[in-house]
Amino acid sequence: MRHNKSILSHALLCAASLVMLYPLLWMLASSFRPNTDIFTSISLLPIPPDTAAYPRGWRGLQVPFSRFFLNSAVIAILSVIGNVLSCSLAAFAVTRLRFPGRDLCFALMLGTMMIPYQVTLIPQYILFLHLDWVNTILPLVVPKFLAADAFFIFLLAQFFRGIPRELDEAAVVDGCSPWRIYWNIMLPLSLPVLGTVAIFTFIFTWDDFFGPLVYLTDIEAFTVQLGLRGFLDSSGTSDWSAMFAMACLTLAPVLVLFVLFQRTLIQGIATTGLK
Amino acid sequence: MRPSRLHAGHAFLIPWFVGFFGLTLGPALASLYLSFTNYDLLQAPGWVGLSNYVRILTADAKVAESVRVTLLYVVLSVPFKLGFALAVAMLLNQGMRGLPLYRALFYLPSLLGASVAIATLWRQVFSGDGLLNRVLALFGIQGASWVSDPDTAIYTLVALSVWQFGSPMIIFLAGLRQLPRDIYEAAALDGATAWYQFRHITIPLLTPVIFFNLVVQTIDAFKAFTPAFIISGGTGGPINATLFYTLYLYQEAFGYLRMGYAAALAWLLVLAIGAITAAAFLTARRWVHYEA
Amino acid sequence: MASPRISRRRLLASTAALATAAAATRAEAQSTTRLRLYWWGGTERAERTNKTAALYTQTHPAIAIAGETVGWGDYWTRLATQAAGRNMPDLVQMDYGYIFDYARRGALLPLDPYLGKELDLSGFDQASIDGGKVDGKIFGVSLGLNSTSLVYNRQAFEAAGLPPLDWPVTWADFAKRMAEATKAVKTPGVWASSDAGNSGPALEVWLRGRGHEMYTADGKLGATASDMADWFGYWADMRAAGACAPPEVQALDKSDVDTALISLGKSLISFANSNQLVGYQAVNKSKLDLAMYPTSSTTKSGQYLKPSQMLSIAATTKSKEEAVKALSFFVADIEAGKLLGVERGIPASAAIRKAIAPSLDAMATRMSSYIAEIGPRVSPLPPPPPKGAGEILALLVRTNESVGFKRTTPTAAGTTFIKEATDILARG
Repeated sequence: MRHNKSILSHALLCAASLVMLYPLLWMLASSFRPNTDIFTSISLLPIPPDTAAYPRGWRGLQVPFSRFFLNSAVIAILSVIGNVLSCSLAAFAVTRLRFPGRDLCFALMLGTMMIPYQVTLIPQYILFLHLDWVNTILPLVVPKFLAADAFFIFLLAQFFRGIPRELDEAAVVDGCSPWRIYWNIMLPLSLPVLGTVAIFTFIFTWDDFFGPLVYLTDIEAFTVQLGLRGFLDSSGTSDWSAMFAMACLTLAPVLVLFVLFQRTLIQGIATTGLK
Repeated sequence: MRPSRLHAGHAFLIPWFVGFFGLTLGPALASLYLSFTNYDLLQAPGWVGLSNYVRILTADAKVAESVRVTLLYVVLSVPFKLGFALAVAMLLNQGMRGLPLYRALFYLPSLLGASVAIATLWRQVFSGDGLLNRVLALFGIQGASWVSDPDTAIYTLVALSVWQFGSPMIIFLAGLRQLPRDIYEAAALDGATAWYQFRHITIPLLTPVIFFNLVVQTIDAFKAFTPAFIISGGTGGPINATLFYTLYLYQEAFGYLRMGYAAALAWLLVLAIGAITAAAFLTARRWVHYEA
Repeated sequence: MASPRISRRRLLASTAALATAAAATRAEAQSTTRLRLYWWGGTERAERTNKTAALYTQTHPAIAIAGETVGWGDYWTRLATQAAGRNMPDLVQMDYGYIFDYARRGALLPLDPYLGKELDLSGFDQASIDGGKVDGKIFGVSLGLNSTSLVYNRQAFEAAGLPPLDWPVTWADFAKRMAEATKAVKTPGVWASSDAGNSGPALEVWLRGRGHEMYTADGKLGATASDMADWFGYWADMRAAGACAPPEVQALDKSDVDTALISLGKSLISFANSNQLVGYQAVNKSKLDLAMYPTSSTTKSGQYLKPSQMLSIAATTKSKEEAVKALSFFVADIEAGKLLGVERGIPASAAIRKAIAPSLDAMATRMSSYIAEIGPRVSPLPPPPPKGAGEILALLVRTNESVGFKRTTPTAAGTTFIKEATDILARG
């Protein structure tokens, strides 16, 4: 009975995976196709495969693509550290501590999620320009250390609320400071969601295009997403094969990271034996 | 005890305070001010009072069109996306083999995000002679030119949103992983069916996460911009069928250099989302259960 | 546990490298004049432009040129943001559709005071210089001339036994020949022409053939409701005859090279610009060629020569003279011209045209010969487009779609188009 159910689940998941996998296969196929075939072919088998796009893409933008990988990685890793620390601090404060103005703070946090970035972009750009931060990674990274991403505060807050209050009340009785409750109780108990925050932050910053477009003008400082767009000029000549080739490479580290990180996370939960 | 806790609350929020007052509040207030001006990005803004708001609310036919498109998108994409995400998360939570692989596979579409490749892909799948219609043709069904027909274009954007259900799925999974096992074991001993367990244990215990996903996805859907921008090439076409509110706002701001008008559009959107979110929080007291 | 430490060290090293790089550019800025040059384009343009910049800085050691480039789709958002922050690049590649917006709002430097001094345009004919004028002042200098042009699949035409689209093809002829061509190619899902009822440049050529301008000299609409009704009607007839693509196919086209129906293999013709031939050919297997837009008169076309791209200078630049000198080098120096080729269009300077002629490849030669052969047939530059012209182009796309999808009739569309366009112009 249980065995049958598992087979059924696998069958369902496999079928759904195909729909999920198609775009990746198609991207891969496109990266092995000459530019003249990309828009007219929907098959997944490029015949004969043409590998020229990979070396062409890697070297195509004066600066080798490895440079963009490095830049993106620096930004993404710093963002992960910043978001995990600053958002968990803020989420802890608004869920576990009592102080005047707490609900107002939380409402303001949510409020910042509602403003379309298209209209704050210009004032923010002018602000960063005055700070002399434009053409550095600071406008992309510093906000992460200042809990600017309310999505993650809200996410963490929801999970913190699910952790039984008796735990920290007991700790308070034992004389624990709020700092120790945060560090020794809340964070260890929240590993799955902290992992989620880390992965999402990494992926969101890795995929971010608009911020780097506006703040990083020097090609040496480009991120992978800016690099990818560098192959395309919709008014003139684009190198779609090279774009797809580099896009596949760009996807690889995120995918690998995702698979690896997920596994360690699950093991982590199992061994701590939460609940 | 009390005074030190009070200080702690503020101390924990110091990074956020610095960010909010230093980086977020200023630009937000600036855009609010600009909404009362005729700012065109290149010249100093001139005060025009309420005239931007008056025009939006009384004289702009595109606003009505974009509101209709956006509401349709919100109402369709949010429930389908969340339902799908929860169903897959439940499937993936059964502790089966190959789990990390599946999880990565299901997150894959979300990884592609709003890359330019999506626009090409969507056209090849959803155009008149695209992949979908070729599959349908096997069953003798003649499909429309989904992505470029004004009657169906919006549904291809809904499909894109549902297809990228990775983030809520992961969050649901994280929530499911935190559910206490013993309750299920006790229920199983009492002979509770799988449906009963789902309906009376999983769902109630998961309400904080459901609530989170609902609020966040709704806000995101109201602000949706990139899918339409990428797939319609920034036009919102055909015939404004995919003219999302924020896409219209962007066209006004950066296409036609009417940043003042765009700021007014933005603040009306903030008001609307704010009201809906506030309503969600008010009803949440009735159906969201924190702590087990 | 060794690997995380290494990666952390590497991370620190790379952060430090970023910081020193930033510091280095700042230190450099003190001893030399640093000019920022911003353009849109693909990889080939980047290579040519960077080589040209390098050549200039070799001979001008006191100047450093920092190139900044993105594709067309992202170019204007970044430029507008920088302009709002008074942080525009010193040298900015400009488009004919945008120069009026930027110049009239004071974002660009008028170049007339430098003409004949830092700015040497002696090889330019007057028409080329006038192409960069806004309200009587020079705000941009041509980086290359182009004109509107059909880009068409000449190979498919020949294979189907159809005559090439040699001048002159009247609008009536065009309708007839396209209907025949769709039948002759005998491929389901391929139409001879794209539906150009949405094309501003095509409409302009058509209107000029009727003796009207798109915009009058005082910034009003040149077309009447009956002009527009006829225009939408012409394309409605084209669709009905199968001469051009149906609306649900045409709507795939986002008016760029990559989504044009000819690139998607769904039509044989695109209403484009002559300098885009290379871009179209890059994504097309069949041999493409250029031809003039259909015409009303068999002796004169409504087409005109215009700068395909210009180079402008930001009003906020701190080094006006140095920027103008660099601009002059890019647009008028023969060695620069050799490096830039015709990738942005045909050089406006006759001397450069002559110098590069021997080194051009087949496609570049075709673009040059096209510009040369249409010279006697083109009309003068039209009056400058008023504020709101960009929005009217979008209105044209939308209205033509409404007719195509049968939401309205050509006659009604003509009237609403005029009304809405007049509103847009009044709003500015």
